[in-house]
Amino acid sequence: MLKFIAKRLANYVVMLFVAVSFTYFMASAFMHPRSVYESRTPRPPQDSIERTLDLANLNDRTPVLERYWNWLTAIVTRWDWGKSPTLESVNSAIAPRVLASTELVTLSTVLSIVLGVALGIYTAQRQYKWQDRMFMVTGTLFMVIPSAVLALLIVLMAIAVNDTVGFRMFYVTGLSSYTGDDIGLRLLDFLQHIILPTISLTLLGMVGYHLTQRTYLLDELHADYVRTARMKGLTRRQAVRRHALRASLIPTGVNVAFSIASVFTGAVITESIFAINGLGRYFITAINQSDINASVAIAAFGGVCTLTGALLADIFSAWLDPRIKMS
Amino acid sequence: MFRKTKKNASPLADILKAGNGEVTRDEILQYELLEGNGPKGAPKGDPIMQVRDLHVSFATEAGVCRAVRGVNFDLWRGRTLGIVGESGSGKSVTALSLIGLLDDNAKVTGSIKMNGVELVGKTDEEMSVIRGEHIAMVFQDPLSALTPMFTIGDQIAEGLITHHPDMSKQAVHDRCIELLDLVGIPQPEERLNSFPHQFSGGMRQRVMIAIAIANNPDVIIADEPTTALDVTIQAQILDVLAKAQKETGAAVVLITHDLGVVAGAADDILVMYAGRPVERASIDDIFAKPSMPYTMGLLGAVPKPHVAASQRLVPIQGNPPSLVDIPAGCPFSPRCPLATPECSQAEPNLEVVDATNGHLASCRRLNEIVSKNMKYTDVFPVPEMLPAKWAEVPRDQRPVTLEVEHLVKTFPLTGGGMFRRTIGRVSAVDDVTFKIRQGETLALVGESGSGKSTTLMEIMNLMKPEDGRIVVLGHDLATLKGRGDRKALRKDLQIIFQDPMSSLDPRMTVYDVLAEPLKVHKWDKEKINHRIGELMELVGLNPDYVDRFPTQFSGGQRQRISIARALATDPKVLLLDEPIASLDVSIQAGVINLLEDLQAKLKISYLFVAHDLAVIRQISDRVAVMYLGQVVELGETEDVFTHPRHPYTQALLSAIPVPDPVVERTRSRIILKGDLPSPAEHHPGCRFASRCPVKLTLSPAQQQMCDGQRPTLRGDDQNQSEFACHFPLAVTAESAF
Repeated sequence: MLKFIAKRLANYVVMLFVAVSFTYFMASAFMHPRSVYESRTPRPPQDSIERTLDLANLNDRTPVLERYWNWLTAIVTRWDWGKSPTLESVNSAIAPRVLASTELVTLSTVLSIVLGVALGIYTAQRQYKWQDRMFMVTGTLFMVIPSAVLALLIVLMAIAVNDTVGFRMFYVTGLSSYTGDDIGLRLLDFLQHIILPTISLTLLGMVGYHLTQRTYLLDELHADYVRTARMKGLTRRQAVRRHALRASLIPTGVNVAFSIASVFTGAVITESIFAINGLGRYFITAINQSDINASVAIAAFGGVCTLTGALLADIFSAWLDPRIKMS
Repeated sequence: MFRKTKKNASPLADILKAGNGEVTRDEILQYELLEGNGPKGAPKGDPIMQVRDLHVSFATEAGVCRAVRGVNFDLWRGRTLGIVGESGSGKSVTALSLIGLLDDNAKVTGSIKMNGVELVGKTDEEMSVIRGEHIAMVFQDPLSALTPMFTIGDQIAEGLITHHPDMSKQAVHDRCIELLDLVGIPQPEERLNSFPHQFSGGMRQRVMIAIAIANNPDVIIADEPTTALDVTIQAQILDVLAKAQKETGAAVVLITHDLGVVAGAADDILVMYAGRPVERASIDDIFAKPSMPYTMGLLGAVPKPHVAASQRLVPIQGNPPSLVDIPAGCPFSPRCPLATPECSQAEPNLEVVDATNGHLASCRRLNEIVSKNMKYTDVFPVPEMLPAKWAEVPRDQRPVTLEVEHLVKTFPLTGGGMFRRTIGRVSAVDDVTFKIRQGETLALVGESGSGKSTTLMEIMNLMKPEDGRIVVLGHDLATLKGRGDRKALRKDLQIIFQDPMSSLDPRMTVYDVLAEPLKVHKWDKEKINHRIGELMELVGLNPDYVDRFPTQFSGGQRQRISIARALATDPKVLLLDEPIASLDVSIQAGVINLLEDLQAKLKISYLFVAHDLAVIRQISDRVAVMYLGQVVELGETEDVFTHPRHPYTQALLSAIPVPDPVVERTRSRIILKGDLPSPAEHHPGCRFASRCPVKLTLSPAQQQMCDGQRPTLRGDDQNQSEFACHFPLAVTAESAF
């Protein structure tokens, strides 16, 4: 097993390096930080533009290979991901945002996987019964509602609740407002903030898992080996739990793993509505401002997330299905 | 042994165990008790299971599908009931209802009593106590019947632990080993930790049997247990099943469409048609005196491996009825040559044919059949053989249409990792040699993995082979230049595949299917229209049906469409890859006859790939027996069947189940040890040496020759056949069959 993981890991490191380097060249080719300064009014002096760009290692008059080399050595030797065109450090900009994003998405991701998969399993075993049809209808509803609309609806409802109870039970912006030292109060404060975006993200996220898990399990439910298990004396429920479920979880595991990256960077709309400074918004801003280094750093973070997910998926699948390990 | 120590956890199991033993004494049982014309004589004692007036229906979109309509039988410990019927006859549904594994939308009525306890109407939880403990089942497809994620040991243990949670780990372990040993899996201790994918199909079916008998059940249901397996493996599995029955003393229900399989294994037979039993008798009576026209037709339609093909097979016209819309009256009447208009008035019940032997059949004209002692040849007219146009020309003077010499095809074996290095080669085809002349059928026989299909694909490719020579109609493939040459040659070389459902595009009408090959060869529209009408007539389909889609035809008709498509360009050589393996017995005969007629009319050469040796004896002039990519015996069909020279051919022939219980009982079978070795292994000597029964009788020096020196095809003066063996079997006066 260890050898299997080590082999995969080595593969992934190579892959990541190639992908990130490629992103760097692409970003350097398509983004023009120079234009950020040149379009300013009043236009800064040419020397100052050149100097700033040089300092940020973004000057397009320096050959791209040289810039790439500088950028790479800075990362390898000092773990320095470079500077934005305005000379802010990418490292210090990205860290709090990763933290905010993690706080925002962890709970909702876990909840949407657990609830979605559970719902998928529940409805698959009741295919075409009223429970299945009901959840199918609600699922489809959440699938077609734009996330902005859903988030705004939740905000409106939360405000209504706040008005009814007479004090601020739910916060609709930010991730924290308490500044004291009491751990208990701080946690309560955090929960008051996080609950609304979590509901919004969970509702949207679980639909996918619900529908796919239902399909995967239905595929396995009628497999011959489930019938064999029942023949041995297992009830249908036991046979499904011990035999069919295992196989049906493999594709779900893979889905989960590969969605990690998009979970971090894809919550833009939710972040905007709940005024949370997360990675998603940062990514959009970085691209708009021709911030090559920040864009590449976020892409690299996404790559790490994806490959970590892929590795987890591999381990998960190998654990569920021994055939994978052997071949 | 094991049974004594076990305790029953549930009260229901206790009831079953103690059993109130209430046996239904009715007329049905009375006749069954008389069924004595079999190896075990008449049943004695009380039946373990009683099925009365069983009906099963499913609600489908097309309407209510009445899959089983009034089935009655009893099962005795130690006896085997064979249920025979074609697909859709309700035999599998009957079996699944006994063990309570039908889908939720199935409606079961009637009574199934096990040791006096009623099983119909029990919930899944209640049935789960009985399943695996008192009733067990072996399914058709061993490849999908085992959970791929668990070890063999875990899967056998699961059945034990479910019913006996108090068994110690050691006891479970020991029992698993005992079971694997019983079903003939070598090194059971190590094999416990193997996963299903590391086993061959035959080995998996053995494991399946081990799971089924783990708790010494009273009833074992085997649903087509050997259909998915090769003939030599089939013989092994039937052997294991018989051993399992002996060990557990269980009653066995053997469900099959293969009359050869039941002939050797069953005591009593129930023939089903359209969800109803139409004839039941002890094994010898069914084969000696079939009395219902359907049974007669079924027996007449089966090619017989043990007799020379002296006359044509008798197909049953038409198709089985749809179970959603069963016609009034006798459901067989639309296909029955004896049917009169009265037959479609009311459905007959099982009536007595022979009261002293408990032989029952359901036919309105039963009295007539019995009193006139009608045989199937009286009921079904045997079709005339068409005179072959070239019959006067001796074989040697007919032109050779296809010649293959020392053909070799290997596939690279790649390792894991990033670069997929080639780490070895699998020889799929290694030294195949044969010759086909005009108007002749050569059968390519062998087990799965022997390289039959690869040989066909190599010929169809029309490319220079890896090694050896392929000559099609005088053109050496190595000398063909460019696509034009190949296209021209392809017109004369066509192929028919096994599954007519997947080889016809469901979105094309029959017209489009048939016109496609002609359009490729740039025929004009008028000629195409004319040709399509001609083709439809040729294969016995109504030309008006050309605008229908393949799904609107039955399996046999679809295969006829495939044949018509292959014939469209008027080929000289037709390659047939298991063309009838997916068809029911009664339909098979019609297609075989059609192929024979077409050959007589059109002088085509057939290269016929099949694993069913009975079919091969019926249709082919010459046989090439393949083993692990090599042709090990090549000769006239009659020579090969009566005097096999290669030990593998002999073993293959002896493994075929013969649809005749008397012959079947007296035959001695050579059961080969183990499975086909992996073609990735390199064998410097004879490829069959590891399983050869003859090798064991040789001197050490001779054995060394087998292991070290590869035999090639050669002949001798004893008969015409060629064989690849250092120590061939002698031709004796006695025939192998």
